[in-house]
Formats: sequence, C-alpha cells, structure tokens
Amino acid sequence: MDLFGSFALLLAFVCALYTVAGGIAAILTRKPLLIKSARHAGIAVCVLIFLAVGSLVYLFFTDNFSVAYVVAHSNRDLPAFYKISALWAGQEGSLLFWSALLSVYVFSVLLAYRGKHPELMPYVGVILAGVQLFFLTLNNFVANPFRVLGAVGPGGVLQVFTRADGNGLTPLLQYPEMVIHPPNLYSGYTGFTIPFAFALGALLARYPGEKWIHLTRNWTMIAWCFQTAGILMGAHWAYAVLGWGGYWAWDPVENASLMPWLTGTAFLHSVMMQEKRGMMKVWNVWLVFCTFLLCILGTLLTRSGLVSSVHAFAQSSIGSWFVGFLAVVFLVCLAAFLKNRDYLRSENQLDSMISRESSFLFNNLILLVACIAVLSGTLFPVFSEWVEGSKISVGPPFFNKVNVPVGLLLLFLTGVGPLLAWRRTSLDSLKRNFGWPALAGLAAGALGYAVGFREFFSLVCLMLSVFVTLTIAEEFYRGARVIRGRTNSNWASAVIQLSLRNTRRYGGYVVHLGIVMVFIGLAGAAFNQDKQAEMSIGATMDIGRYHLVLQTMDSQPERNYTSERMIFEVMRGGRPLMMLYPERRFFPSNEQSGTMVAIYSTLREDLYVVYAGRSPETNQPVVHVFLNPLVKWIWLGGLVVVLGTFLALTPSRQPALVLQPAAQEAPAQGAAQPVAAPISTYERKN
Amino acid sequence: MNAKTKLTVAVCALVLVAGGLLLSSRSTQAQQNDRAKQIGKRLMCMCGCNQVLTACNHVGCQMSAAMLKELNERVARGDSDDLILQSFVQEYGTAVIAEPPTKGFNGIAWFLPSIALAFGLGIVIVVILRWARPSAVRPAAPGVSAEQLKQARARADRETEE
Repeated sequence: MDLFGSFALLLAFVCALYTVAGGIAAILTRKPLLIKSARHAGIAVCVLIFLAVGSLVYLFFTDNFSVAYVVAHSNRDLPAFYKISALWAGQEGSLLFWSALLSVYVFSVLLAYRGKHPELMPYVGVILAGVQLFFLTLNNFVANPFRVLGAVGPGGVLQVFTRADGNGLTPLLQYPEMVIHPPNLYSGYTGFTIPFAFALGALLARYPGEKWIHLTRNWTMIAWCFQTAGILMGAHWAYAVLGWGGYWAWDPVENASLMPWLTGTAFLHSVMMQEKRGMMKVWNVWLVFCTFLLCILGTLLTRSGLVSSVHAFAQSSIGSWFVGFLAVVFLVCLAAFLKNRDYLRSENQLDSMISRESSFLFNNLILLVACIAVLSGTLFPVFSEWVEGSKISVGPPFFNKVNVPVGLLLLFLTGVGPLLAWRRTSLDSLKRNFGWPALAGLAAGALGYAVGFREFFSLVCLMLSVFVTLTIAEEFYRGARVIRGRTNSNWASAVIQLSLRNTRRYGGYVVHLGIVMVFIGLAGAAFNQDKQAEMSIGATMDIGRYHLVLQTMDSQPERNYTSERMIFEVMRGGRPLMMLYPERRFFPSNEQSGTMVAIYSTLREDLYVVYAGRSPETNQPVVHVFLNPLVKWIWLGGLVVVLGTFLALTPSRQPALVLQPAAQEAPAQGAAQPVAAPISTYERKN
Repeated sequence: MNAKTKLTVAVCALVLVAGGLLLSSRSTQAQQNDRAKQIGKRLMCMCGCNQVLTACNHVGCQMSAAMLKELNERVARGDSDDLILQSFVQEYGTAVIAEPPTKGFNGIAWFLPSIALAFGLGIVIVVILRWARPSAVRPAAPGVSAEQLKQARARADRETEE
C-alpha cells in the first residue's frame, strides 16, 4: 500500500505538471480540446491525491510499521479515532493533508464550473494546478509520507525493516478536538486559494470587475468560516489541554492563522464596495493576493523553524521551498497587476465622508493595521537578531497592548458600519440609528463603573458590546416590524422570515453578534483569578464563590496511557455542586505526560482545575485553580459566527414586496412613483 | 481591676496583637505574591513554550519552576522591579523580557503599528478626498476604450448568466 500511495502521488505530480503546461497551451491556442484535456487532468490530480491520502490512512489502520511516518506518529494501542488525526501529526502527513483539502476545493470548482466561463476558467485551472504542483513537489521529493524504513543491502537491494510497534501519537494531539481543529484550519488556509485563483485569473484574462467576486463569494465565505472555526477550536484546545488557564498566547503559529483571517475579513467587507459601487477593485485584488500569501507565510513560519513555537514542526530545509514559492507568487501577482491594472479603475466616486463606503475603508484600515501589528510582532525577533545579534522576545504583553485598542476600534465600526447608508448618510439618520444604542452603551458603562468594573479596556468593551448589540437588534426589529404588519405573524416568525429573505445581510448581522459575544468573553480576562497550592487528601481551597475539597486520588491504567487523577468535590454557598476530575496521563509508548483539565463552565465564569503534578520537595499533589470569567461567551460567540455564516451562505428566499422607488437614480422629471419592488432591489440599495 | 480581670485583658491584648501581626504578615505575603505575579507577567519562560513565566504550565517544565522560585526569593528579599528584571536578563539573556525594549532598534516594534495606522489613515483620507472630488469623474479604464469595456462586460454577463 505504501508503494500504491507513492505511485499515486507521483502520478498526481505528473498530471499537475500536464495541467499547468496544457492549460497554458490551451490559453495561448484557445483549442477547446486542449482546454478540456487540461481540465480532466486537473480532476485526475485531485482523485490521485485522494487515493494517496486513503492509502496513508490505510497504513495507519493496519499498523504498517515499515513506513517511517506511521512509526513516528502511531502505535498499536492508539485508538482508531486518533489514527485519523495521526495523518496530520507530522510534517509529511500534514503537507499531504494540505494537498488533499486543496484538492477537495479544486475538484469542486472544476466540476461546478464545467463548461462555464470559457474565458476565465482555463486561467483559474492553471493557477490552481500551479499551487497543487508546488505542494505535490513537496509531497513527492521533500517530505514524502510513504518513505519506508530500510537500508541498502548487498547488491544495492533495498531491505525494508518493520518495527514491532510505533512511537505513538504525541499526547497533546490525543484529544477529540484535535481530530476536528486541524481540518478546519487547513480548510480555511487552502480555501483562500480559490478566490486567489479567480482574482489572479480574472486579472490575467482581463475579466471585468465584479464577476470574479460574484463567482467566489461563497467560496471565500466557506474558507473564512473554516478559518474562524479552526482558530476558535485551536483556542479551545489550548484552553482545555495545555492547562495554563488561557486560550490565546500569541504564539507565532496562532498568529499565523490570525493574519489571513484578518485580511480575509477585510476582503469580505470591501468586496461589497466593488459589488455595489464598482469601487476598490485594486484593493480587493491585493487583499486576496495578500490573504493567500499570508496563508503560505503562515505555513512557512510553522514549518521552517524561522520562529520558535511549541506548535511548530521540526526545523527543516522546507522553509526555502516556501520562500521560493512566496517570491514566485508575489512576482506573478505583481506582473499581472502592472500589466492589467487599467481594468481595475474605480467606476464611481464617493458622495459623502459619512457613508457606508467610508466606513468600509476604515474597517479595512483597522483590520490591516491589526494584521501588520501581528505580523511585525511575530517576525520582529528574527529581524532583531539579524540587526542586533541578540535575541529578544515579543510576547503576549506586547500583542495585548497593541491589539486590544485596535480590536475595540473594530468593534465600534462593527456597530456603526452596517447602519450607514450607501453614498450618503444624513445627520437625522445618524441620530435615528445610533441615538439610543449610544445612550444605552454609555449607561451600561456608567452602571459597570458603579458596580466596580474598573479595568479601562474591559469597561470600553462592555459599552461597545451593548452599543453594537442594540444596533443589530434595532435592524432586526425594524425589518420584523414591517413583516409583522403585513403578515400578522409573531415576532420570532417575523425575524426568521426577515432573515431568510435577505440571508446575506442578516447572516452578516448574526456574524457581528457572534463577534460581540467573543469580545465579551475576551473582556473577562481582565478579571481572571488563580490559586496554586499543594493539597493532601481532605484539604480545601476557596476561590471566588467556590469551595473545593480534595476527596481522594486514584490511578488507573487505560489502553494507551495510565491516568492519575484528583477527585474534587466542588461546593457553592455551602451546598455540593459537582465533582471535578483533573488528571495527568502518562503515555508509555513515547514516555510523555499530558494534562486533562477539569472545567466547570457557566455563562458567568469557568472554574478551571489543573492537576499540576507532584511537588519535587514534598511529593504532595499540586493543584492550580483558575476562575476565568465569561470564557464560555467566546465559544458560544464562535458558534454564532459559524451559524451566521451558514445563514449568509443560504440563498435568499421569497423576495418580499417592499414599496419603494424602483429607480436607483433620481428620475428626470417628477418624483419617483412608489412601486412594488423585490427586496433584492432594496438590498442592492442598502 | 482584680488579678483575674487583668489577666483576661492581658490575654485579649496578646491575642489581638498576635492576630494583628499574623494578619499583617499574611497581607505582606499576599502583597509579595501579587508583586511576584505582576513581575512574572513581564518575563518569558525560557523553556521554549513562548509563554509568559506565570502562564507556563508545561508538564514537567523544570525551567519555569526554577525561575518562579528565583523570582519569589528576590521579591521576598525586597529587590526592586528593575533590579529583578536586570538580574534575569543577566542570567537568561534579553529574550527573557516579554516585551521588546522601547529604545534603540527594537523600539521600532512598538512604532510599526502606529506608523502603519498613521500611513493608512493618510491613504484613506486621500482616497476619500479623491473619490469625493467632483472632477474625479473619469473613464473606467484609461487605455481601454469604452467599446472594449462594454464588449468585455457583455461577454462576462453572457458567460456568468448562462
């Protein structure tokens, strides 16, 4: 099966090579047969990569310990569930997994647009195949996951060795979320290849303005949704497994996932300017280029050992390949832009400083500044070492100081932007839309201050969260009121009807609501408490409203590890509340230990209990207890963001009849007559 | 005041003084712990975990345990914050400080986001002013005739609306 996998990968490489060469020839000669042949080769590449992944999974499930990658990341006792996650546990497998996920997208695109857009698709096909070709080069010649254990024996014959058992999977990855988090994150990274390919293809083909955006809107949202879910799942995994009481440490690998998310978010917003007003074409193209380049840069950071990180794979020479690829992609983008930039000129002007358009500009600016802050902070230790010769750290305090104000500005714009009208917003409209949400925000701030909420940024976050939530609620209320008036339905039904009639708009609001919830959760970090103590059986500890009693400890062997756990009874207000079981696991296969944190999570706070090991002096168990307010809001907010994205991806239903002027422009004579226009017209105007 | 009353008063006074001393020592201890925590947040754990010293909870991390012990000792000794940070730099190098210095070349790290913001803000304002200028009406794509653009647009419409 290892030979089968190797062969499939090699064949995929050859097919990708043909797709690129054939595709270029097809573009130059415009021969339909050549175009079709290149497309078929592109589909074959995807199928072959799926076969290679399938064979690697098979090798894991059959415990084939003649393959070096299987030996390094699996063992016989590893549960089947984790044999799947072993696929991306190391450099070679994760690069193959990357190729596979990219192939899912490429396959879907090639099938979805089969026979459509004959001018654009050959370009898109070549670009996608070019990206696949790069990763297949790595899969085949730099980090091949099918390499067998062996040595060249007498007569130049390769003798294959088979180990009795493997080294096992690292304990940190033996957690259910690790089976879901990497596929999500990788799907985000790879998904941005699609808008990139369409943007570059449209530019090369001189395919006018908005079309590529219409075609890639859903692809971009899917990639963004995966990236968001991946980032939040990673944060939850760090919170639940690493046992340091937090969820985000500004580690370079975490930062690498955040940067394309920031530019991708900027793109999802600014793209509306191009769709509705024909503006920001150059900006959008470069935002997509930058998002893709940042995805590749993130991969470089993770895999090259350029920056130190606990998440990073072993230092290897693979970084130079990524640097080369980054350089080539950038140069191609730059050349295409310089050659065809005339097609990207703006078609409209701005009518007013206070308008949706200007709010998008500021939103993009803030997102880009956040991205630059994260990028510069992540790479600065490297630059500093080059220039100064000594290593410095750019740790969480730096990122928090720089990014918290930026994040709050963004939260403010989240509330303001959607309620500004396109082209021009009148003062009356500003007062009507923002008057009472702003007052309520200020009142919430005053109330928060009065009850002892004194941390500045948290207080501002509270005020802004109230403000933004109310602006969103106001939008739903207004729309639902109109529907209720017409259909006599109840509020819930009216809100659902409203959302389904313009899924994109109201899905966007739901996403914003989710982001507000995430911010509320983040604001709680200012009030974290923690205590650490050695505890004997029967000892107690108080933190916040909770009283913990160490009832006993036990140890039990499991199939793949031995567990030692503390058994706590948790009481609140003198009454027993629940039992918590923080534990440590020892994995004999690789002689590593791992923690399993016990968390009692409520909307108000998380009681987070870590068994931190035994004291070297007294051999007593040490417990580290955290009281982290509002953390659950982050995970719920993430869920709301994902649901909002699903809503936005759903096609809008039953256009509503709204009385409004049908014409976009003012009529030459007389006032516009109110006519029944579908809500899609309304949407275009708003 | 008889002897019994005197004894009772003396015992009460002793208990109060002892309690006060105990409370004060506990509060000093708490203050020391808080101070150690605050300083610990300005230091990185040097085990390679990329976390601040007080946040490192890696299983079996020898480095953070030793560093925290050293920090607590220095705080208990009454060393100033600067002195403690300097001693850690001498022992572990400049990378032990969690933030880049604000002076010299490394100060650029602090200014970069602000420069980006100022630069970006300038660009946004220029763009808005250019867009808002009435004379900014121009052909959509100089170098491309209106007819060419119309044809290209019609072609794209045809293809995407099939």
